[in-house]
Amino acid sequence: MGTASGIIRALNSGVKHLAVKRFTLRYPEEKLKFVGDGYQFDPTVGVGIAGLKGRHMLFHDHCTGCQLCSIACEGVAEAIAMVKVPEGWKHNKKSIMPQIDYGKCVFCGLCVDACPFYALYMTNDYELSSFTKEGLIYTPAQLQVKPDVRQDSEIVIDERGATHG
Amino acid sequence: MDGTVGAASASAAAPPSPAGAGAPAGRLPPGLSVERTDERIMTLNVGPQHPGSGHMRLVIQVDGDYIVNCDPDPGYVHRGEEKMAEYRNYVLNIPHLERPVIHDSCNVLYPYCLGAEDILGVEVPERAKYVRVIASELNKCIYIQYWLAIYGIFLGHSTMFMWPAGDRELLIDLMEKLTGARVTHAYFVPGGVRNDLPANFEDACLRQVGYFEKRIKEYADIFYDNPILVSRTAGTGVLSRMDAVRFGTTGSVLRASGVDFDLRKREPYDAYGEMDFSTPVLKDGDSYARSRVPWLDMMESCRIVRDALAKMPKSGSVRTKLKPNPKGKLPHEEVYRRVESGRGSLGCHIVSEKKPEPYRVKMSVPSFRNLICMPNLLRGEKLGNMPAVYWSLNYWPVEADR
Repeated sequence: MGTASGIIRALNSGVKHLAVKRFTLRYPEEKLKFVGDGYQFDPTVGVGIAGLKGRHMLFHDHCTGCQLCSIACEGVAEAIAMVKVPEGWKHNKKSIMPQIDYGKCVFCGLCVDACPFYALYMTNDYELSSFTKEGLIYTPAQLQVKPDVRQDSEIVIDERGATHG
Repeated sequence: MDGTVGAASASAAAPPSPAGAGAPAGRLPPGLSVERTDERIMTLNVGPQHPGSGHMRLVIQVDGDYIVNCDPDPGYVHRGEEKMAEYRNYVLNIPHLERPVIHDSCNVLYPYCLGAEDILGVEVPERAKYVRVIASELNKCIYIQYWLAIYGIFLGHSTMFMWPAGDRELLIDLMEKLTGARVTHAYFVPGGVRNDLPANFEDACLRQVGYFEKRIKEYADIFYDNPILVSRTAGTGVLSRMDAVRFGTTGSVLRASGVDFDLRKREPYDAYGEMDFSTPVLKDGDSYARSRVPWLDMMESCRIVRDALAKMPKSGSVRTKLKPNPKGKLPHEEVYRRVESGRGSLGCHIVSEKKPEPYRVKMSVPSFRNLICMPNLLRGEKLGNMPAVYWSLNYWPVEADR
């Protein structure tokens, strides 16, 4: 193949893509949809359930304050600290629950694998930025709140190319 | 190293520096040396801040426009991963051991997991072996696309930066569905994988991998058959077949020099023995061949993904439960396992003691092996060919430094 024809073919290949749909996700307006409600773990069979590893969610009525999540995190990021909670629970004698510092968390999800009481899951919420370092520290009360996520954009593939429909 | 120190102190040493009060005139402090160089030779420092070098420094000596010597100086992103691994147990080592190559994190963990399984005596379920093959091949494509984007932009081809960076998103989306994270998946564990495939994953995987394959074939016209790229890369940095073996290169560099060596074929691990694929081998050994082999690799990876999805057992467990407390029960033994990653053969040597933590974890990384041949390739080349040769080595600085 000659040099001129090669360059024309390369240019032609680029020009053809003017007709291809835009693939970019327009992020703040559109958000990508994920499978499920976030990464979860089933301790009875010892296998996780697929989902996004985002912000955690803590179920106060399951947490016994056993600190296994905190111990798992010690070897990874030291993001989890056990703190006192004001309300008393019968199953949580010491009244301690995890508090997570998202300035340190690496979202590996090993704390979820460590929890034997179905108390700690991860959610689809990944927008955690804050203006202060303290704003990244989520107390047990904040972790209890189910996040409000509106994510509906999916990759659609047709003859004219792939888009985030 | 010596080149720059020598060049800096050679000019300062002519009048004895008053600052060096402790050292008498004519004698330098230990560790420094004066190097007399030819007037014609100029020493250039490429990096470590320069984006064209990655996180490393290349000390290049040029005579006019021609490189007479090159001294790669890695080590700027050393993180002590191997030492950190001695203080954590076999599962908690996972998140930090995948950090050296975050785009290829499944493959970086793979040899560690295989080795840890040998030590812990865990059997991987049949379905998990196939899931691992899928995740590993998808991750390999993600890495190669990222590398290709960098290779394109350093040759001045900005379309080739945009296209792979965009098409990579198709596979990142799949990995996000599968593992829950876009990079640093922490997906492989000793004993299998963390979670099973999500619902409808197979359909999405076939659809997106099919489109991805169609897209990468379009790179031929704009990049690989482009006469401008060919004239810049063909014939530069030729590595002969003998030299490739002698320097101990691996992966795409070795296969571009005509040596058919792929660990997925030679030492099949997990489900690779049952996969139907071929390994692309080119004979030229120049930068063009080295840039083309990973592209052909991606097409084979797409084939493997489809094959693995078809042959996978439809149900079954994906993770063997580890014993709750292995304290005092681990044998004193050492294992070495290696896999074929996006850059070449990646090995992990684990020595275990009777403790929950490994005694020693040593990673043998392909990036460092491929870097060794670089001074040889650059000698005699023009300075303008440096990026074309350097990035064709499929080198990832963080992995070389660990």
